[in-house]
Amino acid sequence: MSKGFLFINSVTVRYDHLVAIYKVSIKLALGKFHVIMGPNGGGKTTLIKAIAGLIPYEGQIKIDGLNMKKYLKKYSIGYLAQRGAQFQSFPLTVLQVVEMGRYRFRESKAVRKEHAMQYLDEVKMSSLASHPIGDLSGGQQQRVLIARALATESKLIIMDEPLTGMDPRSQSRFYEMIEHIKEKHSLTIIMSSHDIGFTTAYAENVFCINKRLVPHDEAAKLLKEPEIKKLYGPNIHLVEHHHLSSEEEEDV
Amino acid sequence: MFEFLSLPFMQRALVGGELVAVIAGIVSPILLFRKMSFMSVGISHGAFAGIALGILLGISPMWTAIVFAMALGLFIGFVSKTGKLSEDATIGTFFAFSMALGIFLIDISKGYHPDIMGYLFGDLLAISLSDVYFSMIILFITLTWYFFRGRAVVYSTFDEDFSRIVGIPVDIDYYIFMAVASLVTVVAVRFVGVILASSIMIAPAAASKMLSKQFSNVILLSILFGMAAVLGGIAFSFYTNIPSGPSVVFFVTAIFMVALGIKWSKNFARS
Repeated sequence: MSKGFLFINSVTVRYDHLVAIYKVSIKLALGKFHVIMGPNGGGKTTLIKAIAGLIPYEGQIKIDGLNMKKYLKKYSIGYLAQRGAQFQSFPLTVLQVVEMGRYRFRESKAVRKEHAMQYLDEVKMSSLASHPIGDLSGGQQQRVLIARALATESKLIIMDEPLTGMDPRSQSRFYEMIEHIKEKHSLTIIMSSHDIGFTTAYAENVFCINKRLVPHDEAAKLLKEPEIKKLYGPNIHLVEHHHLSSEEEEDV
Repeated sequence: MFEFLSLPFMQRALVGGELVAVIAGIVSPILLFRKMSFMSVGISHGAFAGIALGILLGISPMWTAIVFAMALGLFIGFVSKTGKLSEDATIGTFFAFSMALGIFLIDISKGYHPDIMGYLFGDLLAISLSDVYFSMIILFITLTWYFFRGRAVVYSTFDEDFSRIVGIPVDIDYYIFMAVASLVTVVAVRFVGVILASSIMIAPAAASKMLSKQFSNVILLSILFGMAAVLGGIAFSFYTNIPSGPSVVFFVTAIFMVALGIKWSKNFARS
């Protein structure tokens, strides 16, 4: 998957008559860690939900040349939504939550459990497998959800502000874990975030969205740092609004 | 102490009542976790309009109640999904209408209808053998649904978006669940009546939710609490000569209060 691309071509999402994102086009290299930044209400969650096929949109989203809707019929993607309060009282164990990721696989209960435990082990949560999900801290719950995303055996993981409410130490650990699993499983990761410091230290590509994709120079203003590259190092590649070449158009 | 069990009508009441407790115990935790507890109130009142239609047309009221309740359940689901309204708002609108329609239909049907009180407040002691068979059929349907779709429905109750992504047909499951929940509510109506059905549908699940953090245990406890309430309620009704429907509701509410007390004392001990 690392050689392909995720094409988002002129994607517009409307909620009733309200435009949430307008004609967003971007080409994301697979096998990288991409971060979507932008102000509240700028359309980060909308774009993530569109990529995940959870909301209707105009335009095209293709992965490795395959229409995303068709892709989702065949394969799962790892998806972490913004954390909900429902986890607090829902009577599922950590193991059962991870087993959700195995839904597409036709396997026995024992094999399903074995796989789920393997992924829990990877995020260092296997010792809490029998605990109710609601009893875990926010950071631990996120680890469990990462294990659930890995359990889908998807090569694409999409996360919507997974760091909300986490202290800096937990955030740092979270990024280290993401880096580790990305390398180990050759994953493409797309994540939305508010945090500039950690994000820019770990992400391989950052792009900004505020209804539309924000051009490079405006993105720097949005992040309140005109010389953002100098400050945060060469890992940052702010992506300009991508206009497809005729050759790429054909690919799409 | 258990001499009431030697009487055939008590045996039918007990077997039928326990079947209802099992069926409701399987379905109601999902209603509860989907925040759709009010659904059983709406559907039971919808069933009343169906019962009234059956009386008017001179056919078995249970069949018209099933048709009416399922149609209302699916309609509530459809309006909630497509109109982006909560189920409770839709139910709140339609349950009063169903009750009004039921009263209107009874009013225009000729003759005296002594069964109406039984349908409104339930009469476990008037349960016939065919009612017991009817409950068995609904139990079979409920178990079949739970065997094939239970895991997927629990998943989509927990996290709808992720469930869609892993390929669960969330919307189809939702409508099937609404249909099954409607059927279960009609059975509860037959045994404890329109007004009291929501009690047997919700209180055991609410009590078990307070005492367990495992979904399978919530269902198991919900079934056991419902069964205990039916046994206690029927025995109490027999010995005190009070109507059986309210008697079962007293017991189920007592179980809820005990569970609440345990929950409070646990919270108090922790703080």
